[in-house]
Amino acid sequence: MFRASTFIRLLSIGVLSISVVVVLFLMSEDQVHRNNAFTRRFPHHPISKLYDLDLGYNSYYISGYVDNQLYLGNRTAPLHLLKIDLASQDTTHIKINLNKKNLPFRSAEIKIVSPYFFLLDGTVPAVFRGKIGMWEANLWDERDIYFSKAIPMDSTTLFVKSTSSRTFESILGIVDLDKSSDILFKEDLLEKQIDGVFDVDGIMVVSDDDKFIGYVYYYRNEFMIMNNDLELETRMRTIDTVRTAQISLSTNIKKLKITMNAPPVYINKNAYMTNNLMLIHSDRIGKFEEKVMHNQAAIIDIYDWTKSTYELSFYVYNLNESKLREFEVHDEYFVSLIGNSLSLYKLKPTHFKMRE
Amino acid sequence: MKSSKSIYQYIPKIACILFSILFIYAGTSKLLDFQNFKTQLGQSPILTAYAEYVSWGIPSIEFILAGLLLFTKQILLGLYASYALMVMFTAYIIIILNFSDYIPCSCGGVLESLGWTEHLIFNSGFVVLAILSILILKRDSLKPNTISNV
Repeated sequence: MFRASTFIRLLSIGVLSISVVVVLFLMSEDQVHRNNAFTRRFPHHPISKLYDLDLGYNSYYISGYVDNQLYLGNRTAPLHLLKIDLASQDTTHIKINLNKKNLPFRSAEIKIVSPYFFLLDGTVPAVFRGKIGMWEANLWDERDIYFSKAIPMDSTTLFVKSTSSRTFESILGIVDLDKSSDILFKEDLLEKQIDGVFDVDGIMVVSDDDKFIGYVYYYRNEFMIMNNDLELETRMRTIDTVRTAQISLSTNIKKLKITMNAPPVYINKNAYMTNNLMLIHSDRIGKFEEKVMHNQAAIIDIYDWTKSTYELSFYVYNLNESKLREFEVHDEYFVSLIGNSLSLYKLKPTHFKMRE
Repeated sequence: MKSSKSIYQYIPKIACILFSILFIYAGTSKLLDFQNFKTQLGQSPILTAYAEYVSWGIPSIEFILAGLLLFTKQILLGLYASYALMVMFTAYIIIILNFSDYIPCSCGGVLESLGWTEHLIFNSGFVVLAILSILILKRDSLKPNTISNV
């Protein structure tokens, strides 16, 4: 009798302990992904899949698109490009030659703006430019402009993110590579909430007509659009409700290093701008949405920034349990990189209302 | 009246010592690298929201339990609590291994270098040890002579 009660006591303590941990886990999960003050619209099939193409590696990123040809760069082989004909699925490997190789490259990235391609590394700093087809790039800009990220806007201008030498906070700028004097930085575009570095982190985008550039914050429900003179056109809130970056930072005792105390709550994971449409990969589940979808697909929300409206959302399903990494929109294609594969979708034009 | 002592009677005593060593070791190594421990906890998918409390709570509980097991007569209480704590750690590991996107570890000291499976076996061993000790203590306490001894 006595021992039976001991067993019961052990069992109930065990069950109780497990429940405590499980409840903590469930509450934590909810806090990160759920918020649900917003509701999405999911029309039927805004995109339909054409095919998946296995690339063999998950280190590819999208470099650019010219006339049905998609170019992919590779983070582990920085001088390598993969050209894919989207119609025939033919692939071509391209090797890029640089006229100056012995530079301390750390984050070289290739971006294509027809008829040129750029190889950019802001930690060196170095900007190489060459012609598509020739694949020979020359070191172009001799000025020491350090940047954490740069995207070419046209054949001579870069949209850059850098660090202010005055405040040590992040700033956005435009560099004209043809004119040695033309560097334009603006300190008031990124709105500091905590430290001006982590909290304002985000995604830089350039519209494919080269007329507008945009910046989408990772950790808050906001993005902004600038014209190609870096003048603010508009700031817009997304359907999400998180206005203040939910990140927690700590500086170590010697103040040498700032670390994140907790994984940040990503509101916007990735973005792409095409003409008047801003497409944002959101990591958050809205009202009336099934929670399981979060493990099966990525959600893309579309906004029309010229009208300040939210248009619609759609799912991009995982492939072999891998999530969407990158995406772009070109002509009638929705191009996405998922795990080791390229997934190509066709857009339904009625759902993607482009401005003339 | 005492029968020949079997090895079983030593198990609770050994368990107390082992648990104390484990808790003191784990607790101390957490405090020695406290900032790091707190950051790791914050990155844990389960404890993110409570990292601040848990980072103080876990080492405190570990020291209190070690004290309870070593220096007081509340051995049974200490064993029950140790059992509960180990079950929680084990449940935590299982949840993290199966339901989480990423896997951080914040056990402290050499325990961090254990693989997750070894960790599970290690923890289960301690859970079993606690159960065994509690059962033996309970059985012994039924005998009148040991009650008078306590």
